[in-house]
Amino acid sequence: MAPKKNLLGPTDSDSSSVSDQSASNRSVNRSLRVAEKERRKNEAEDPLVLALKYFSDVEAGTPVVGNDEFENNLVLVERAAYSKGLSSEAVAVMLEFAMSLRMGTSPCVRVLKCLIPSTVVPQEAVVRAVVWLGVGKIPISTQVLFIKWVLTVFDMIDAKDQLRSIYGFIFSFVTEENLCPFICHLLYLLTRKESVRVFRVRKLLELQSKLGRQPFLLHLLSLYKVFCPELVTLSVPSRMRSGFRNHNSPWKSALIAVQKRNGSQVASSSSLPFTIKDMSSSRKRKHGHLELPVLSSLVNKQAQTESFSRKLVPLVQLHSFTQLLENMHRIELPAQMGSLLGSSLALQYLDCVQDESALLRLNFWLGYALHEEFLFCGDGRASQNSEEALQFLDKLLSTQHFLQEAFSSSEAFLYKFLSVWDGSLLRPQILSLLSHIPVVPSAQIGRLLFEPLMQLFFTSSLFFKCGLIECLNNMLLKWLTWHSVYALEDDLDISLNSHTSINMTLSGFKDSVMELVHFVGRLASVGLQLEGCHSLLLSFILDFYETVCDTFLRYGLPLVVMPPPAVFYPVLFSPDPVSVDRLAYIMYRYKVNLTSAKSQEKVTEQAFHISRQTFREFNNYVVVMVNCLWNSKMFHPGMGVQLGEELLLKSNVPQYWTSFDLVNHPAFLSYAVDFHQRCWPGRKDVDLNSIKHSKPWSWYLEYLYSQGYDGLKQFVPAP
Amino acid sequence: MSLLKPFSKLPGLNTANILLVEGEEQFQQSLADALVEETAFTVNVRLAKSLPLPLENEESRPRIDLVVFIINLTSELSFQSAEASLKYLDPGYFLGKVCFMVTNARNASVPTEQLDAVRKLAASLHCPLLFAEDQTPDGVTNAAERLMTILKVAAGLVPMATSLYLSSLTRCTVPLDIDQPSFE
Repeated sequence: MAPKKNLLGPTDSDSSSVSDQSASNRSVNRSLRVAEKERRKNEAEDPLVLALKYFSDVEAGTPVVGNDEFENNLVLVERAAYSKGLSSEAVAVMLEFAMSLRMGTSPCVRVLKCLIPSTVVPQEAVVRAVVWLGVGKIPISTQVLFIKWVLTVFDMIDAKDQLRSIYGFIFSFVTEENLCPFICHLLYLLTRKESVRVFRVRKLLELQSKLGRQPFLLHLLSLYKVFCPELVTLSVPSRMRSGFRNHNSPWKSALIAVQKRNGSQVASSSSLPFTIKDMSSSRKRKHGHLELPVLSSLVNKQAQTESFSRKLVPLVQLHSFTQLLENMHRIELPAQMGSLLGSSLALQYLDCVQDESALLRLNFWLGYALHEEFLFCGDGRASQNSEEALQFLDKLLSTQHFLQEAFSSSEAFLYKFLSVWDGSLLRPQILSLLSHIPVVPSAQIGRLLFEPLMQLFFTSSLFFKCGLIECLNNMLLKWLTWHSVYALEDDLDISLNSHTSINMTLSGFKDSVMELVHFVGRLASVGLQLEGCHSLLLSFILDFYETVCDTFLRYGLPLVVMPPPAVFYPVLFSPDPVSVDRLAYIMYRYKVNLTSAKSQEKVTEQAFHISRQTFREFNNYVVVMVNCLWNSKMFHPGMGVQLGEELLLKSNVPQYWTSFDLVNHPAFLSYAVDFHQRCWPGRKDVDLNSIKHSKPWSWYLEYLYSQGYDGLKQFVPAP
Repeated sequence: MSLLKPFSKLPGLNTANILLVEGEEQFQQSLADALVEETAFTVNVRLAKSLPLPLENEESRPRIDLVVFIINLTSELSFQSAEASLKYLDPGYFLGKVCFMVTNARNASVPTEQLDAVRKLAASLHCPLLFAEDQTPDGVTNAAERLMTILKVAAGLVPMATSLYLSSLTRCTVPLDIDQPSFE
């Protein structure tokens, strides 16, 4: 399809493209119809068709008890429903039969339970059924069951326009106490700006005062508030229970089973030119992309009338970025917010428009989906759909990556998930989701994040430890990047998330960052001890401190935190030269940051203040490092590491003060020997002390620096 | 009634002994199979339905370094049996040599109160609470790995670390209800 085509403009070429499209649609419809006829012919003698005929024709008042014909037919329908699902006509017939109570209430429940659609649910049937609700003969429990069924198959209803037009009628059921939670959920899914009216808000508030602050009422009200903030003055809590808790697992698992079976069949036969099932064969329906077939039928009707200059444009109709730009002001969001995740255009729209209602709906859907899939599994589902879960989380991750921020619902989900996580399930996805979360206020960071993570960290394997440190490093990097982007706009107040209104002061942000750095410091200290200073873990920890040492210069955050001694000393004495070199580089960057902070403090009055303690720690580390590596003054009194004189003598190590200098340090010993051989090729006995003389020493340093140890070179430049 | 004591016997060389207590005996066996695959040292796995342990093997039984209570959240009984078994442990065990492992925590049919009760129990005894995915092979391996991390420390195989030290870092805390809406 040509990228610049404008479906809505008045020019000739454009109108031809419209007719092109409708023509192609017509041909598709025709082939569909032909296929349908073919199928009908084959099924003329099908017992299922006869059964359905029975249910559509059966007279009111026919007895149920002892009615073998009824029983046989219903069993047939049930069997078909659970194996292949019911076609849309069958759903319509059965729903009409059940809701009209033609044979009393007892078969109604049974029929509702087996209403598993194979493709779509016709909207007309649902509307008719809702109308039957109003007749008032159906018992409340059955009414609840029906609404639950509608919620479960909501995404499969072929269009929502008629349902929206009876919004008021559906709303009237809100007063029924048992139905209320489910009706609220349904209304949430149907609400548009036009549906928010004063009297409805008033009714909901009245209900709230009667029933208390119920989450379902709050959710609906918060959506109303987004659409019409002037009508809803109620304060809505920022962190709410995520989602409505209307779990319909029996239907859902039956639906999934049917869809899986159908999906594989479609793949094998592929008789139709394009089918709805194609879209959802590999993934679950609600995780699918924009559902083109369903929405396009509605679109075509509009296209024929050609009178929608002021009407809304569905997002599906747009195919290029230019089109998006031209129609930015009149975009209609799809019925399924989840479909936005699959389309980069939709994400672009979300990103620039900052549409509160779209984000709220998306967040709502996402929170619900995440909760259902990962925290509220049915029996044995955890293992069954791990492939789907993987794809879903990957999609979510790439979306968050695209938008460069996390959804609040995924954040809320993570906090819950962490508290029941085993540390291995979907580890890469969970850890990257975790690294995306926005800055957590320092008052809550410990409870929400650190406690569960600490328990996981210390009971898990080395690889988990490394993974978590990496994840926390990425989290810190993201926070610092946010800061460096938003702090430019305003000196003190940084709104960390462009969409949500979490404002944070600079000092609040600094507190959170400091908490995070200290937390990783604790993890690293004890982790190194428990894992015997494993060099892999060490490397991840050094990665983290490479971020920390540069917070001031690279990200403009006036904060300097030194690594704890339990990290510094193991690195300094580590037997691998790369770690020691990286430590030297980190100390060098600390020095650069601290000196530039100090010089800024002198120039501008209001520069930040670095505590003396930080300088003292830094100086102490530098002294230890230089004394130990360059000056051969290990265990000198007044340094960080002290041992009793007599104890050192007792150890019988000759010249113990030189044992960690650049010649004798276990990490560099091999270099010293190599250097010795090159310097004095003739000598048989190796005397490393001869390197210490001033001439060979400077050669030795140059030799070391030439081996790629730039950190050491920057830390103490060659004379 | 006999108490199981942590220090009444001498430890073996390069050996760690773990006792898995599970009333329903569903997860025990697969977990034990995964545990004995450790090669760096000998791992003896003992299985029990509940405590107290029978008196007859008292002599031959090695020193138990770590007691693990496996609780299946979908069954009320499993929690009750673990709770009843606790009193047959010497208080010395609660200095880092007991841990709880919970399965089915993400199941829809588990009431939240059930998980809260287990959390409260573990927190009141200062024990770690691990979650496990017993349905998948990966989950079982991971659960065994995590138990091994604790067991190594409890058996004294990690230099400079004691089980009490580790348990001070990993013990369960009762979180405030995250669900609770905070009205700001």
